[in-house]
Amino acid sequence: MIMHDDDRALAADYVMGLLEDGEMAAAERRIATDVTFARAVDAWRSRLADLDTTAEPIPPSPALWQQIAGTITPEVGRAPPRPRGAGAATLWNSLRFWRGIGLAGTVAALLFAVIAASAWTTSRQLRGDLVALVQRKPVYVAVLVNDTTREAGAIINAFANGRAELIPLKPISVPAGRTLQVWTLWDRAIGPKSVGLTGQSRTLQLNLEALPDTIANQLFEITLEPEGGSPIGKPTGPVLFKGNAARTL
Amino acid sequence: MNKMSAITGSRRDDRRLGDEHDAQLSAALARCAAGDRAALQMIYNSEAARMIGVARRILTRQDLAEEAVHDAFVRIWRGASGFDPQRGSARNWLYAVLRNQALSIHRNEHRYNTADDAATQFDCDATLTRMPEASALRRCLERIDRPRRDVVVLAYVHGMSHGELAEMMQVPLGTIKSWVRRSLFSLQECMG
Repeated sequence: MIMHDDDRALAADYVMGLLEDGEMAAAERRIATDVTFARAVDAWRSRLADLDTTAEPIPPSPALWQQIAGTITPEVGRAPPRPRGAGAATLWNSLRFWRGIGLAGTVAALLFAVIAASAWTTSRQLRGDLVALVQRKPVYVAVLVNDTTREAGAIINAFANGRAELIPLKPISVPAGRTLQVWTLWDRAIGPKSVGLTGQSRTLQLNLEALPDTIANQLFEITLEPEGGSPIGKPTGPVLFKGNAARTL
Repeated sequence: MNKMSAITGSRRDDRRLGDEHDAQLSAALARCAAGDRAALQMIYNSEAARMIGVARRILTRQDLAEEAVHDAFVRIWRGASGFDPQRGSARNWLYAVLRNQALSIHRNEHRYNTADDAATQFDCDATLTRMPEASALRRCLERIDRPRRDVVVLAYVHGMSHGELAEMMQVPLGTIKSWVRRSLFSLQECMG
C-alpha cells in the first residue's frame, strides 16, 4: 500500500475528528471511491478504538429506544433503501449494488430452500401457508351473502401475514346517518368483534391485528349501524351480508 | 512464571470474548440490513450505555448525548448494508458512526469557548489508565511526552478542535497542528 504522507495524515485527522466541514466531506468522498484511503481510515479506527472503551457507561433514558424505534418505524417490514446509481456504469461499479444483489440472491435462495425443504418434510398446510405468502394469495376467503336474497355482497380475504381486506361485489345503499360495520365472530364466548367501519361499500382494509389468526369457518358479517359504529360494541342493526371463512387451496 | 502465564491466559480469554462479541454484533448488523428490527434492539441493548458515555465526553450534556445516540442508531439501521466485516470490526464501525454524529452535533453547538473552564479539567492520564494494560495504544501513547500526548486524547475523546486546543494550551495553532501530527506519526510507527 503506497500512500502519501499527506493522505495518511488526512486519514488520521478524519478519524480523530479534526477536519473542518469541507475537508471532512472531501475525506468521505475519498473513502467511498479510494480503497487504499478507506483502508487507512479503517486502520486508524482500529488503532484508536481502545480510547472508546475508556468511556464510563451511562444508562440512556428509558424513552430513548422508543424514540429510535419510532423514527425507523416507517421502514419496518421492508429492506433498507437500495443504493441508486446515476447510470448503468456507476451502478456496475457500485459495491453496495452488487452486495444488494448478492443479498437478494441469498434471500431468494433461502426462500426457495425453505419451500423446497418444506415440500419434503412439512405438512400440506404449512406448505400452503408458505406458497400463499410468496404469491400474496389469501389464506382464507369468506364470501358474504344476504340470507334472504342469497346474493353475494362482498368477499373478505385474509392473508398469511395477518392482513385482511373487504372487497364489495355490489353497491350497498347506506341511509343517511347510518354506517356499514364489519364484524367477525372468532369465539362465541367473546362475541362478535368490530374489524372495520365504512360509510359506503368500498374496498376496506380490516383491522384484525388485535385478534388471533383467522381460522376455518370464522364468521364475518356486515351490519347497518348508527353513524360512528355501534354504540355498544356489538351489532345492533340488521345483518346485510354474512359468510364463513374457507381455506384456499 | 505461573503468574505470567495466568495473565497472558486471561488476556487471551479477554480477546476471545471480544471476538465473540464482535461476531454477534456483525451478525446483528447483517440482520439489520435485511430489515430485522429486533437485531437493532440487540445492538442497542448491548452498546447504548457505552455509546452515551462516549458521546457525553464530547458533548458533556446528557440530552445532546442521547440525540447523538438516537441519530447514530437511525444511521446504523439505514446504513447496515454498508458494513463490510472484511474492512474492520463491527464495533469499530458502530463507534465510527456514533462519533461522527456526536462530532457533528458538537461542531454545531460550539461548546468550548475561552471562558469555559470545564475544558481544562479533562484528566488525560486517568483516561490512559482506564485502558487495558495489554492495550498497544496505551503502551504507545505512554511513550509520547505529555503535552503532545494530551492533544491526541483531548481531540479524540473530547472532540476538541485544533483551535480549541490552541486556546486551552495557550500555544499557537501551528504548534498544536504539529504536535498532533507528530504524535499520530509516532503512534503509527509504534503500533504498525
